[in-house]
Amino acid sequence: MTRMRADRHGSQLKSNMSEVAKTLCFAVLLAYGLPLNAAASEGDDEQLDAVHHVADGNYLDFSPLGKVQLPRIMLVRTEEGSKDVDFFGSTYSAVASGRYHLVSEETAVDAGEEPGESVHLESESESEDVEAAGHDEGVLMPVRGELILDLSITRHLVFAWLGALLVIVIFVTLARRYQRGVGRETAPKGLFHNMFETLFMFVRDEIARPNLGDKTERFLPFLSTAFFFILFCNLLGLVPFGATATANISVTAVLAAFTFVITQVSANKDHWAHLFGPPGTPLPVRFILFPVEFLGLFTKPIALAIRLFANMTAGHLVILSLIGLIFTFNGLFGPAGGYGISPVSIAFSLGIYLLELLVATIQAYIFTMLSALFIGMAVEDHGHDHEEEHHTESLPESAAARLAVDGGTETTRVEAEPAMAS
Amino acid sequence: MHTVIAAGLLSPNVGLIVWITITFLLLLLVLRRFAWGPISKALAEREARIEESITSAERALEEARKVQADNEKARRESEQEAQRILREARETAEKLRTEEVEKTREQIRQMQAQAEAEIEREKQGALNELRSEVADLAIRAAEKILGENLDGGRQKKLVNDFLEDLPSN
Repeated sequence: MTRMRADRHGSQLKSNMSEVAKTLCFAVLLAYGLPLNAAASEGDDEQLDAVHHVADGNYLDFSPLGKVQLPRIMLVRTEEGSKDVDFFGSTYSAVASGRYHLVSEETAVDAGEEPGESVHLESESESEDVEAAGHDEGVLMPVRGELILDLSITRHLVFAWLGALLVIVIFVTLARRYQRGVGRETAPKGLFHNMFETLFMFVRDEIARPNLGDKTERFLPFLSTAFFFILFCNLLGLVPFGATATANISVTAVLAAFTFVITQVSANKDHWAHLFGPPGTPLPVRFILFPVEFLGLFTKPIALAIRLFANMTAGHLVILSLIGLIFTFNGLFGPAGGYGISPVSIAFSLGIYLLELLVATIQAYIFTMLSALFIGMAVEDHGHDHEEEHHTESLPESAAARLAVDGGTETTRVEAEPAMAS
Repeated sequence: MHTVIAAGLLSPNVGLIVWITITFLLLLLVLRRFAWGPISKALAEREARIEESITSAERALEEARKVQADNEKARRESEQEAQRILREARETAEKLRTEEVEKTREQIRQMQAQAEAEIEREKQGALNELRSEVADLAIRAAEKILGENLDGGRQKKLVNDFLEDLPSN
């Protein structure tokens, strides 16, 4: 379906080719594949922009009750050249202070690409445009001076904090119970205790131990933290008014970076030796293998980040697109069309929602599982006989096969990713 | 417009990266100190306890089995002992009884033999007596018949000759 849409918009596609080149191919497919955007531009009354719903923002969306703007923290270099931190309760108050103004994202991107050129003058009229949209769109830029870093609290950050808080509350409570003796001297009691103990044991016995063996204890804190943080972030996205922090490439990139850093820092010399090809490889082959192995170091965490981000984003986009069908049909065939399609939309989005519950868990599992696998491969001390080598070589393949089975329901969604993964 | 939206989804937000890095690092430290550490320790402790319980239960069971086997053996031995004693007693009794019977029978046989010898002797005596009586009677009868007395020596010789001719007994 996505492809058909892309064809229909073919002409548009060509005209925008220069911008397209700037972004990754599958992101374009995402953006163009959405019937919602068509609806948003066609219908004047109903506006449902799925991408905006999924994307980050400096507000909490409680529509139709309204939106709550989040504090803005701006790290700027003033015209005099000194660094300064500005704190505002909301985007509105930042603009009202007169020291900041909103510019559209295109302008901001241009400004970023061509430093030195002043964009402030030409953006005055745009600034008013964006402000008319309720201070929720656009990029906040200082009127004078230069923006170093926008440390504003965003929607995804709030939900990441919420997820982190939930994990802390749940597991610190659980730890207290153990310290009181429940579950340590006696059998674990109650739904809460049993459920989270089972999950923790799952991470320990099914994810960490098979990959790390006797080094499990060392990496278990990271793996379980990652698993539960991702799981809670994923699930918070399925709560009404919630947002999925893991549907943000920055968040997943940080998580993958942790895996990367931990893998490289704890890697033993076998891992580094392996970078130049397996032992016993002829020298010329090593020249070929080195770039491959070197790239492999980075593609692994990048694939981790994109897999999680794409899976979490895609599910929400599909749900919102299905809901958006109602608005599209309303726009095309009038209210009858809208009412007519709504049972179908709702039934389908319910199905996708249930699938999302599954995907939220599976993705938390896959991320942790692959992290454990990468770390395990880096810290594994293997003897240098041939059989051992074959064993370690086949390890990633078996894991990939396992993932293919686990993620079977969502193969279409991960399709964009094999290029990165391999 | 569309590409901008897509870029919005894909462009990394440096501020957010900083925040998430701090958040995750703190989360990791807090959880490691206050959650995973105690939980792992408690679970390991519980597993060790369970392991130990199972081992000791197995050992106790093994011991109980051994004791039971010992008891069984002792019981069987004592039973055999009792059987043996009973059998021996029975054999002794039987032997005693047989000996007694044998002795009695021997006595009876001896008594019988004595009695028979006695009877034989008595019979012999009686026969001898009878023989002399008969001789006397015959002599007397012959005296009367002949009316004359033969001298004693001739008479006796005659009777004895006669008796010799008689079949003995």
